[in-house]
Amino acid sequence: MEDTLTIAGREFGSRLLLGTGKYSSFETMRDAVVASGAEIVTVAVRRIDFDEEGEDITSFLPENVLLLPNTSGCETADEALRTARLARAGGLPDWVKLEVIPDPRYLLPDPVETLRAAAALVEDGFTVLPYILPDPVLAKKLEEVGCATVMPLAAPIGSGRGLKLRDAIRIVIEQAEVPVVVDAGLGAPSHAAEAMEMGADAVLVNTAIARADEPVAMARAFRLAVEAGRTAFHAGVMDEQAVAEPSSPVGGTV
Amino acid sequence: MNGREHDLAAGETVASLLERLGLGAGYALVERNGEPVERGRYAEVELADADRLVVARPVAGG
Repeated sequence: MEDTLTIAGREFGSRLLLGTGKYSSFETMRDAVVASGAEIVTVAVRRIDFDEEGEDITSFLPENVLLLPNTSGCETADEALRTARLARAGGLPDWVKLEVIPDPRYLLPDPVETLRAAAALVEDGFTVLPYILPDPVLAKKLEEVGCATVMPLAAPIGSGRGLKLRDAIRIVIEQAEVPVVVDAGLGAPSHAAEAMEMGADAVLVNTAIARADEPVAMARAFRLAVEAGRTAFHAGVMDEQAVAEPSSPVGGTV
Repeated sequence: MNGREHDLAAGETVASLLERLGLGAGYALVERNGEPVERGRYAEVELADADRLVVARPVAGG
């Protein structure tokens, strides 16, 4: 059975999205992207520093991946709009991972500014993938203004703590009529598998792969975990039981 | 440009300035006086002395 991820009418074979930050080199990043099977990778947008030699990251990425510009560094809706429009005008896709984050200590997204920016970007023709706390009410409102996905965080960015906000994410998943991409805080492949078993449509991973001792091997591990979790979701994970139930016959023992 | 002054050549366009700075290939994202410039128009947008440019590009990020 073909089990593709469809975002804004576009189909993807992989349910693992990758961030490109924090790798030791662009070569390692490229190899990890290939090993992960990811078809969507995020990039940030920054001013060019003319005092530094900078390589073009896009030349290291496989041709078949969709570049997803993010609005990291933006603290308000207006800054996010400016960044997204600059990226699109310059030839990057009209898809945007919308991040509006006012406080660098916890890197938690501003729900009010995110909703405001999302509505304006959708109006302006963008395909919008907003990064949010797993607030089910906010997720529905983002869906109503036309966002293509919602991307609730599992735990703070880069923390690797796993599904700390599991119960809220479960409600977001239950209610969503757009794909739910669990983004941020996944530290181990088992975390990704758990998110997929819960019914998440995809996960986005960066630090856990980029900062592994062997990023390419870890990218493959996440790929397998996402596939395992998705398969388990379809297969139907058993309900937990309060007491034991024997797996072997109770009678006829010798 | 990005807070630094550059002398313009006669008839300088966004495209020729980027080329001169070694940014002709790959993605250079350009904002001129607060407005994004469409990539398809880099060769036709002529620059004036007082123009303020922001030049950005995609970088590694999550």
